[in-house]
Formats: sequence, structure tokens, C-alpha cells
Amino acid sequence: MSTASAGLAKKLGYSDVRVYLDGEPAWSKANLPTYSTNEFVKSGNIVLIDTRPRAKVIAGRIKGAYSVPFANLEDKLDDVPRNAPIVLYGGKEVTEALSLVRDQEFNFVSLVQGGYEGWVKSGGKTEKGPVFDTEIVWVRKLGKGEVSVADFRKAASGEDKDAVIVDARTKEEVAELGIFKNTINIPLDEIPARMDELPKDKKIYVHCSTGARADMAYSELVKHGFNVKFLLLNIKDAECDCEIIRP
Amino acid sequence: MDKRTLRLLPLCLMLALLASGCAGTQTTEVAEAPATKEAVQQPQQLIYEGEVAGFSERAKTISVTVGKGDQAKVMMVKFDEKTKGVNQVAKGKAVQVYYEMRDKDAFATDIHLKFAKLPPGTKEIKTEELNKLIKEKAPLFLVDSRPKIRFDQSHLPGAHSIPVPELEKKQAEVLPKNKDIPIVFYCGGPT
Repeated sequence: MSTASAGLAKKLGYSDVRVYLDGEPAWSKANLPTYSTNEFVKSGNIVLIDTRPRAKVIAGRIKGAYSVPFANLEDKLDDVPRNAPIVLYGGKEVTEALSLVRDQEFNFVSLVQGGYEGWVKSGGKTEKGPVFDTEIVWVRKLGKGEVSVADFRKAASGEDKDAVIVDARTKEEVAELGIFKNTINIPLDEIPARMDELPKDKKIYVHCSTGARADMAYSELVKHGFNVKFLLLNIKDAECDCEIIRP
Repeated sequence: MDKRTLRLLPLCLMLALLASGCAGTQTTEVAEAPATKEAVQQPQQLIYEGEVAGFSERAKTISVTVGKGDQAKVMMVKFDEKTKGVNQVAKGKAVQVYYEMRDKDAFATDIHLKFAKLPPGTKEIKTEELNKLIKEKAPLFLVDSRPKIRFDQSHLPGAHSIPVPELEKKQAEVLPKNKDIPIVFYCGGPT
């Protein structure tokens, strides 16, 4: 992508065109700062963290921020899903906070441009007053093609008669671990050859063990005109709680 | 030979050897014959080029996003123990998958990672040098070529968001007037 743009800039007559081929991942890996736009801070599905001392946070903070002074940061992040985008701001300690959060293997970590002062200057919304030491709560929004666990459960229980569940795991996995009710087992690699077995007038929900194969099966079925969604969940997760026909 | 020539040597080799762009979405075609000598000998060679959308060791299946925008399609291929290059495959990597049809199924025979190629007249910049330019506040126009949503989430200090399609549409209008200031483009990595 960047190379296509660089080639174009060269053609437009720019004399010194360079490409940072290693890109954003290398920059983050070198522990250099990256920033979110203020729009993303305002409306993204993020965990926004103020690392400043509590007194400053009480005097004023970005609306929606959690107050987690640097010393408590590691503990507080323990139960936060690693795919939650974390956006940080604070004082000098924020650089260290950034590396700490990156070391905790969060996938997306960035800073607020200009910190709290920058936010205020740009006219962003703030709040003040006492902070309650609440747990950090983050719920992933469903991505494209994903079925909610609640809808999936309705299909597995038989309550939703307009949906068919496809289990994309291998026959061996099913034989060992069992299968959900109201479910057909078509291993991912057999889907191209066996999609005729599936109805076009019903909703199809695909699952596997973690969601990776279900996602691939979804792409294949959607291309062939099926009304399909997939479950992105480890089916061992207690959240699923669907009845299993044991082998 | 001075240092610069030495540094340019591997670049020239890269230019000579390697296929298209960062994330490589420019010239993706279904069943396109690659423009190499081999292709002349085997004009029927089937290939998918694009980003790996999914990979399953258990199902021995890879899916690749071929084409871009509305025309993008996810193609599934199987692999077996004879397939070369499977160990380099991971979600998000840009790949070329050579495959053959066995009955109704596509089977990968050979998988190559695609590396970004520098267009003629442009140079590569590494993290350290870019960091230095940014820190020194040297004259620089830094462009993030990824889709806007990725920029919104996390971008380098001072970067401007100009996704590739926007630059293609608006051309120099979105770039600086002074054509001699250094412009640096980046995206999400080399493959």
C-alpha cells in the first residue's frame, strides 16, 4: 500500500520520496509512541486510562476515562481482554505506562495526542469530581458476519427454527468432544464440496473450536449466497453454555 | 565501493526479484499467470495473490483475500504435507499461493510470502532514522497509507492520513506544495 503511494508521489514530481517498509508494527515494537485521533478516543470502543495521580484526575479528566494511577496499572489490567484497544494519557509516567501495557501483550495500545492538556485545548469533553474505583469493563462489539452468543444459543436449543448450525470441526474432534444439538458437522475443508446440503432459505450459523475456521467457512458460504454468520468464541468458554450431545 | 553503493545493492536485488506492494493488493488476479520465465514454460499455472484471511492447521486449509474493495473475494485452498512454504503462513501475511485443481478442490502446491517492492526513484527509511527526523522536527511530510480506521486507532507522531485510494483520486492536492521536502509513506508492515 505505502509503496503504491510512494510510486505515485514520485510520478507527481516529489524529489525525496521514502518508504518506511517496516511500518507501524515495527514502530510500536521499538516502543516508540503511537497516537489515536481524538475522534477515536471519543467514539471508539476503547478502554481509556488516565495514569495521573488521583488528585489530578478528580480535578479534571477526559470523559469516560478510568483512573488507574501508574502503580496499580498492571493489576488492574489483569482481567481486561487482550484485544481491547487501550488508549492512555497522563504525565511523564505515561511513556513507561505505554511500554508496560505493550508488554502485557495487548494488541492495540496508543496515546492521546498532547495528553489531558491537548485534549482540553482541542475542545474535547471532560468531567470532574470523585472517581469510583470500578473494575474495567470492556465488551467487544460484534464484527462483520458474527452471530451473537445469545442468537447462537437460540438456534442450538431449537428455539429458533429458522437457523441451522454448522460445526466446522473435524470428525475426530466431534467424535471426541461431542456436538451441539440441532447441528450438522461439515469439516471446513469439506464445505466447498458439501454446501448443497445446506438450505438457502434459512440462517446458517457456523462454529468451530475457537472461531478461526468458522470465519473461513463463513467467507466461503457468503460468497455462494448463503445467509450465514459465524460464532467467534472458544466453545469451551462458559459463556456459550449450549447443550452438548456427548459421544 | 562507498557505503551507499553497498546499501543499495540488496535493494537492487530486491527490485529485481520480488513481487508487488506492501500488503500487495495492486495486481491481484485470480488464476493470473506470473510474469516470470517459469510462466512461459507453464502457462497454465494457477495462482491466488493476496492477504491470508484464515489459516487452519487442523482442516489443512488456507483462505486468501483476492482482489480489492468490492471485488475482493476470499478463496479457499487446501494443503497437504507436500505443499511448500506452509510454515510461513499466518493471518494477515501477503502471499502468492500456487495451486492445482484435484477433482473439485484447489490444492496449494507452493506458497511464497510477498515482500514490498520499492518503486523506482524511492528509498527505504528505517525506524531509527525516521525517529530521528521526527524528534529533530526536521522538514518532513509523513503519510499513513492505511485505511482511515487504522490511522484513527494508532498512528505515528505527526502523520497525515491519506489512504491509497484517496491519494489516487486527489493526487498532489493532498500532498505538500513544496515538492522538495522529504515525504515518507508507511503502512502496516512489509508483507
